[in-house]
Amino acid sequence: MTAQLPILTVAPLLFGAFAVTAGRFLYRRANYAVAALALALSFAASVLLAVQVLAHGTTTYFVGGWPPPIGISYVADPLSALMLAFVSGAALCVFLASKAEIETSYPLKNSAFFALFLLAAAGHMGIVATGDAFNLYVLIEVAALSGYAILAQGKDRAMLSSLNYLFVGSFGASLYLLGIGYLYLMTGSLNMADLSAIIGRLGGVGSSTALAAAFGIILAGLWVKMALFPFHSWLPAAYSFSAAPAAALVAPLTTKVMAYVLVRLIISLFTPNEAWSVPAVNTLAVGLATAAILYGSFCALGERSLRRMLCFILLSEVGYMVGGAFLGNRAGLTGTIYHIFADLLMTLCLFLAASNVERATGGRFSDMGGLFRRMPATSAALVAGGLSMIGVPPFCGFFSKWYLLSGAISAGSYLFAGALVLSSLVNAVLFFRIFEIGFFRPAPGQDGGGQAGHAAPPPLGRDEMPLARLIPLGVAASSLVAAGLLAGEIVTRVAGAVIPPGLG
Amino acid sequence: MGGLLAGFADAFHYYAYFAIMMIGLFAMIAKTNLLKKCIGLGIFQTAIMLFYVSMGAKTGADIPIVNPATGTADPAAYANPLPQVLMLTAIVVSVATLGVALALIQNIHRDSGSIEEDEILRRLRDE
Repeated sequence: MTAQLPILTVAPLLFGAFAVTAGRFLYRRANYAVAALALALSFAASVLLAVQVLAHGTTTYFVGGWPPPIGISYVADPLSALMLAFVSGAALCVFLASKAEIETSYPLKNSAFFALFLLAAAGHMGIVATGDAFNLYVLIEVAALSGYAILAQGKDRAMLSSLNYLFVGSFGASLYLLGIGYLYLMTGSLNMADLSAIIGRLGGVGSSTALAAAFGIILAGLWVKMALFPFHSWLPAAYSFSAAPAAALVAPLTTKVMAYVLVRLIISLFTPNEAWSVPAVNTLAVGLATAAILYGSFCALGERSLRRMLCFILLSEVGYMVGGAFLGNRAGLTGTIYHIFADLLMTLCLFLAASNVERATGGRFSDMGGLFRRMPATSAALVAGGLSMIGVPPFCGFFSKWYLLSGAISAGSYLFAGALVLSSLVNAVLFFRIFEIGFFRPAPGQDGGGQAGHAAPPPLGRDEMPLARLIPLGVAASSLVAAGLLAGEIVTRVAGAVIPPGLG
Repeated sequence: MGGLLAGFADAFHYYAYFAIMMIGLFAMIAKTNLLKKCIGLGIFQTAIMLFYVSMGAKTGADIPIVNPATGTADPAAYANPLPQVLMLTAIVVSVATLGVALALIQNIHRDSGSIEEDEILRRLRDE
């Protein structure tokens, strides 16, 4: 049983997707329960796997019993096991929180939405778990195609934005495929552990043009997929016009899982010393990351609705992760790994809170007056997410910034360090502007009192969402503190276990 | 000059796949018609498939099965089947991508009455 855990994290989602598609014709009412059960099983398997891997070390499962390099293997080392638990937990939270929304937004297409939701979650988890470079490409496409389909269901421009995302996303995935082609050409293998050994024997990235080209093309593909600065234009449109549950699922997962693939590429496929051996690539990556941080922060300042603002913050967070991965030292890479987890939780918490706010007010800043009185619990979660984005100590956002900053300073990338600090300041402006509106502006329908006297404020919790939406949000918000308090554990037992020793 | 030409002939398929890939990329970027963008994406992906298949190609190669007369298989006699098998998967993926893209285009056309990107954006802005 325990040997099969890596595949059991993904299998319930795939079977669940088939089951809800078939259930559309059999017994439609059970579909929500079936999908929730699939997600819960997957989450349970991931947690068990994480506990087991952290206690006993890496578990590998050979699909179909074929050992590598011939077969596909699913590898759960401390990093991927914890990532699986986070991804499945996030998917479960979003699914439980958006029950009412799914049922009202897509009354006739429930089953299709459930199936796509499960497939998107399965794709993202498969990307994390797989140990085979080509299988990774297929799973990227599984995750992306179901992502395009659920993001397309939304208001006015959603279809066009999603189609645009499809063009850019397929371009990025194709580049990844091309890069894998060059790797295969040089090594004759597709299994990551095997590839890594053969690349080492060949003499590393610098030894041949084809290997360097493979590295560069794969990097470019991943940067397109994770919306790093010059390739970012699809992200804000695709995530802001779609229905809220779709954005709340895809936003925390896609960019973070792609950042995970980047870390995997650096640590497991090439070794860090190899991946950082070309100074031009490091300079380019850190430069683009700096640009992404600044661009995301300043565009976020100009936005007037909650979800669009979060989308631009997401762009600058991508800069954090890419920059840290190419600083060329242990602290930077540790910061990137920790920030993948931290940013997943922060984005989850903020997008869930934003979808509650949107449901009650429409999500424009001008309609959010009196928010803290009208929706106290949602606002509390929004504050937690905001403070974590700013980087206030007990929350997890602080610790990733700490590692990234110390990495940037010891690498001498003062521009990147400056961008990190500046983006924290801008985040503070962004979130305190919302807090100011929520606390001090009168709620719509309450005419501000004027000189004549104070109109009665709305009753406490007037627009608050039902508990079914608040509990997942509360879990997400408290996980920010939990991940912050456990930062030392995550850094030593996860990042420390996968980063090769002896790295400066 | 002769050496350069010989090098070109040896690596001909790489130049070919790259040229085809750039044609696809050009269509994806420069065309405003959504269907033409889709065609460009198709060309782009097909070029990568050609690259994979060409790396396993071999003149006079046999199918990779055990020879019943000798009971053994001679790896030198057959073309590497793995790239072709990988590309079967990639073809499935690209068909699925195209399917999703066409479904989206159909819906866009139903909603806005056009498949020209700038026309759709103008109509959205006018509303």
